[in-house]
Amino acid sequence: MSEDEEDQSPPPSDLRSQQQQQRPPCSPNKSRNCISSSSQTFPDHVLENVLENVLQFLESRTDRNAASLVCKLWWKVEGLTRSEVFIGNCYALSPTRLTQRFKRVRSLLLKGKPRFADFNLMPPDWGANFAPWVSTMAKAYPWLEKVDLKRIFVSDDDLALLAHSFPGFKELILVCCEGFGTSGIAVVANKCRKLKVLDLIESEVTDDEVDWISCFPEDVTCLESLAFDCVEAPINFKALEALVIRSPFLRKLRLNRFVSLEEVHRLLLGAPQLTSLGTGSFKHDNQSEQEQEPDYAAAFRACKSVVCLSGFRELMPEYLPAILPVCANLTSLNFSYANISPDMFKPIIHTCHKLQVFWALDSICDEGLQAVAATCKELRELRIFPFDPREDSEGPVSELGLQAISEGCRKLESVLYFCQRMTNAALIAMSHNCPELTVFRLCIMGRHRPDHVTGKAMDEGFGAIVKNCKKLTRLAVSGLLTDQAFRYMGEYGKLIRTLSVAFAGDSDMALRHVLEGCPRLQKLEIRDSPFGDVALRSGMHRYYNMRFVWMSACSLSMGCCKDVARAMPNLVVEVIGSDDDDENREFVETLYMYRSLDGPRKDAPQFVTIL
Amino acid sequence: MEGCPRNRETCPKLLDLIHQERKWYHDEEKNNADQEKKLELRLAPPGGDEEDGSAMKKKNIDTRNNIKKEAEEKSIFNLSGNHFSSSNKTTYAPPHISHKRTAPGPVVGWPPVRSFRKNLASSSSSKLGNDQINKSGDEEKQVQPKREGMFVKINMDSVPIGRKVDLNAYSGYEQLSFAVDKLFRGLLAAQRDASGGEGEGKPIIGLLDGKGEFTLTYEDNEGDKMLVGDVPWQMFVSSVKRLRVIKSSEISSALRFGCSKQDKMKN
Repeated sequence: MSEDEEDQSPPPSDLRSQQQQQRPPCSPNKSRNCISSSSQTFPDHVLENVLENVLQFLESRTDRNAASLVCKLWWKVEGLTRSEVFIGNCYALSPTRLTQRFKRVRSLLLKGKPRFADFNLMPPDWGANFAPWVSTMAKAYPWLEKVDLKRIFVSDDDLALLAHSFPGFKELILVCCEGFGTSGIAVVANKCRKLKVLDLIESEVTDDEVDWISCFPEDVTCLESLAFDCVEAPINFKALEALVIRSPFLRKLRLNRFVSLEEVHRLLLGAPQLTSLGTGSFKHDNQSEQEQEPDYAAAFRACKSVVCLSGFRELMPEYLPAILPVCANLTSLNFSYANISPDMFKPIIHTCHKLQVFWALDSICDEGLQAVAATCKELRELRIFPFDPREDSEGPVSELGLQAISEGCRKLESVLYFCQRMTNAALIAMSHNCPELTVFRLCIMGRHRPDHVTGKAMDEGFGAIVKNCKKLTRLAVSGLLTDQAFRYMGEYGKLIRTLSVAFAGDSDMALRHVLEGCPRLQKLEIRDSPFGDVALRSGMHRYYNMRFVWMSACSLSMGCCKDVARAMPNLVVEVIGSDDDDENREFVETLYMYRSLDGPRKDAPQFVTIL
Repeated sequence: MEGCPRNRETCPKLLDLIHQERKWYHDEEKNNADQEKKLELRLAPPGGDEEDGSAMKKKNIDTRNNIKKEAEEKSIFNLSGNHFSSSNKTTYAPPHISHKRTAPGPVVGWPPVRSFRKNLASSSSSKLGNDQINKSGDEEKQVQPKREGMFVKINMDSVPIGRKVDLNAYSGYEQLSFAVDKLFRGLLAAQRDASGGEGEGKPIIGLLDGKGEFTLTYEDNEGDKMLVGDVPWQMFVSSVKRLRVIKSSEISSALRFGCSKQDKMKN
């Protein structure tokens, strides 16, 4: 059945040629339409077909959402033609609703747990299970090709069901997922003969001691992208090498730290067509039998198409210059697992003129950032992670680095910056220098740190960011912040969709400013801030238009949460954390609420109370 | 770590309360009354942070937050500085106050760096002094014993998918052997033959005596691989970490080398 379906649904280009040939509406390729519309009057039937042919080309989901609101017919036809579905919160609707509304889905992007779960603010086994989705889709969408999951609990059985249910399956992307192991991956590798993409990114993968690399079929594969840098298990290198050789379409390969530099060297020599490489461990094994060190630089030189480089685990910095031959072509460089000093870093970065995406540890210091600013004029995205992620660590980067970046990289769009010291002046400068900023996430690691030069709160700095960066859609704040900062956000942050707040603000007014002033706000995550019932109530006009609200360690009372739940029946209000002293607790520990079309979920664990 | 300079740097607000320069002093709402309380609380030890204790317990994150392991009493807990401070009615203190009072212990999930990033940073040259933070994001990869049962993973040669068994559900080796047969019989049959339609497939027997086609082995808490059945059941249950069903013909090679896994991989 599945193969028939595939033949029956041609890609858009074929559709275009069909239209030019002016086939009758009820062409063989639309046979299912003919069957279903036999009872309709002729004009409706024609209209539906025309509409379908047109709506096939609509790709953007916001456009599709708009189209589906025109009238019932459009709603129905849009539902028939949507092939890619995005679900930002897996609990916003049930899998059955998905399969009833959209009939021909080929690709699903599903997100589960809220982001703060990544930082242990949520107990394990909270939910977001893939199981009900895969079992429902197995029956409804046998032609499914792509599944992209983020923060979802996926079991080995789920993966096995996926592998067995979708013969045409092409792309599996698991980001920040958990619950499965190498045995589940092995089944996918083995059964999905058309697999093009297998990307395991920042996921927890249990080591089941299964040689999953050997499970790929023995003939030539369709693989284009294989990423397993997060898999903490040794790899059968011989099998990997053979796999790469029989994968002529492979362009992206991200290895884990169990692949040595020597092995990477061999892989590169055999796979010069790679465009994106994540190296394994970047150190030379001094105890190896070879007398001569392999010429690592030669291997990199052979990879003329590599534009994206990452990995560098367990780095021996003296081997870093091996990558120099490819630096001039690099558009993306990820050093965020490598503890590189400024001296080792500068010669490398000075050759990376085309760099657009740069991730690194703060070990490169302000000096390294100044080098980036001097060279990388095309930079769009910068992420600086802390080598020592503690509140009272040294903090080798500061406002100096950020200021330099803002002056040198005017096209900057996205910033994530961990530091210990910051000034309002640097943020104000950035707000003026980088008007293209859409994402600004600053984490001053010491809580409540003010501007370390003036001693004032960081209000003016963040205020300038929201005021001058008119395209800003995502903001994460930190440092000492008063209600004034939030007043600025409410006044100027008109496009903000995602807001992250921690240890900030003085009173309910702060949150009120945001809830009343930011009309586009979709995702709100707050922790350890003094916001209470008044603030929560002030946002009731917004919650149905938001994806979720997370508030932990704030000042919300259970009574107020119950009131909100009562007043808004389509809002699922979860209070998380089992209460030992139920009656004595005045404030709710964690509130997580989200709109839902299908009511509260049935799989909530004991520590979740749904009001 | 915690000395005057830091206090001055991080909590100018407190000093400014005295100097009365802060804008929010003029905010409406309840702040004025609270500010008096804040001043009082500032001097008192951080008592009554019961939320921290219960918060840690309820999260059941043993390995994630070593503070829990180390701080058995709530009072020590409070000193180590967990900041679910807003939840307690008697000693409600806005975060910056409690920050000053408490020692610079780690707060859960702060800074917001994912666990795998913390681990990787510490695996390179210089080891970080505070191992607590590094481990706080760790998750047990191999075996996560659930609260009610004692689940261990069990894999079988030539069957890709592993399973989990609850050892507390069995009273002895016989039952375990029977369970393994039930678990894997169908899977093994599916793996082995495309042609036959024998239905269920042959029963898996002789797991414990070496006489069957397969033998049950386990890895104990010291990483050694052993045959199942030699020690008393309770001793086995207390030391087993994972199970593996291997071909009887490969017993000697599988068990001889402790690190057989790595050897196989290198080939």
